[in-house]
Amino acid sequence: MPESVPSSLIIDAFKEIFQAERGAGKRHEPLGWVISVPDTHQKSVLAALDKERSLRVITCSTEDDANAVAAGLYMTGEPVIVMIQHAGLYASVNTIRGISMDGKVPIFYMIGLLSREKDKDPKDSRHSMVRFAEPLLDVFGIPHARMEGPDDVKLIPEYYRKSRERKGPAAVLVGLETA
Amino acid sequence: MMKPEEILELIAAARGTAICVPTMTTGPAWRTLAPDDLSVGCVGFMGGASALGLGLALGAPDRRVIVFDGDGSLLMQLGSLATIAGARPRNLVHLLFKNGVYHTSGSQETPGGQGVDFAAMAKAAGYRSTCTISTLDDLKKRLPALLSDEGPIMAQLMTGLADSTPMNSPPGTPFHQQVANVRAKVSAAG
Repeated sequence: MPESVPSSLIIDAFKEIFQAERGAGKRHEPLGWVISVPDTHQKSVLAALDKERSLRVITCSTEDDANAVAAGLYMTGEPVIVMIQHAGLYASVNTIRGISMDGKVPIFYMIGLLSREKDKDPKDSRHSMVRFAEPLLDVFGIPHARMEGPDDVKLIPEYYRKSRERKGPAAVLVGLETA
Repeated sequence: MMKPEEILELIAAARGTAICVPTMTTGPAWRTLAPDDLSVGCVGFMGGASALGLGLALGAPDRRVIVFDGDGSLLMQLGSLATIAGARPRNLVHLLFKNGVYHTSGSQETPGGQGVDFAAMAKAAGYRSTCTISTLDDLKKRLPALLSDEGPIMAQLMTGLADSTPMNSPPGTPFHQQVANVRAKVSAAG
């Protein structure tokens, strides 16, 4: 059965990614950027980020904005993570195509699967917004994995690296609401 | 009404090291006026110039970032006004080229046409300052302040139609190459 992942583990993973990307002797303030359109599924992470001085969170009106802000930051050499929900993925597919895929901008997404039933694989969910997220990512050829418990936090740096290596999007889906 | 090309000529002469973000009908003329590696044109993702400019401004706080937005483009991502106001980038100038139509797709009137006041919207969203400019003489007077005052700033520029659109112009540098060029240049400069 899947388990909730504590927000502290996720934020530690973000910090390790950003520290690795910054390297020694470069700008460290902020350590990195989290671009978000609030997601109920990841609200404990967003609440904890509010107290993090070393990470700057930019809350966007839409996921289209979030993608474009992330691209602008990337162009200046800044490390970025985008946090959205599955409905936001659906809302912003043209921008993901135009910016991250055609524009070859590496963007790593954390995507919450709000309303995913704990006892079901997402493909068997009674909610279309849960069922269609992974197939949509497959259609676009976007590498993705599902975080189903604390042991899967390692997927965050792994898929962040994938986005950099392929110069395009990569995503970790958040299986259950974070703790 | 000002001609977009005349506005762009003034900006090209005054921009200094600013990163510029043209979109749609400002793109072809800007490529001719400023064929450099510090511009990134937005075509194909439906109004993302303002938010892209925000990301650039946040990541390069020591440079000016100038967005050449269109009224039809901004309407597609109007929420970016609040996103920008919330992030409060001091170095962002948002120039809104207002012609009242979707020029690229055949000059259909935008919703609300000339009656929509984008400067008032930006002010209400929380931009530090906004203005509306209708003549080149007024733009010449205001340009030094636009390029030095604290942002976010919006200037709504009342324009006629550009001579060219992305549909009747040769293609420019592919977007992914522009992204790589800007990143290389800005990163190299520190």
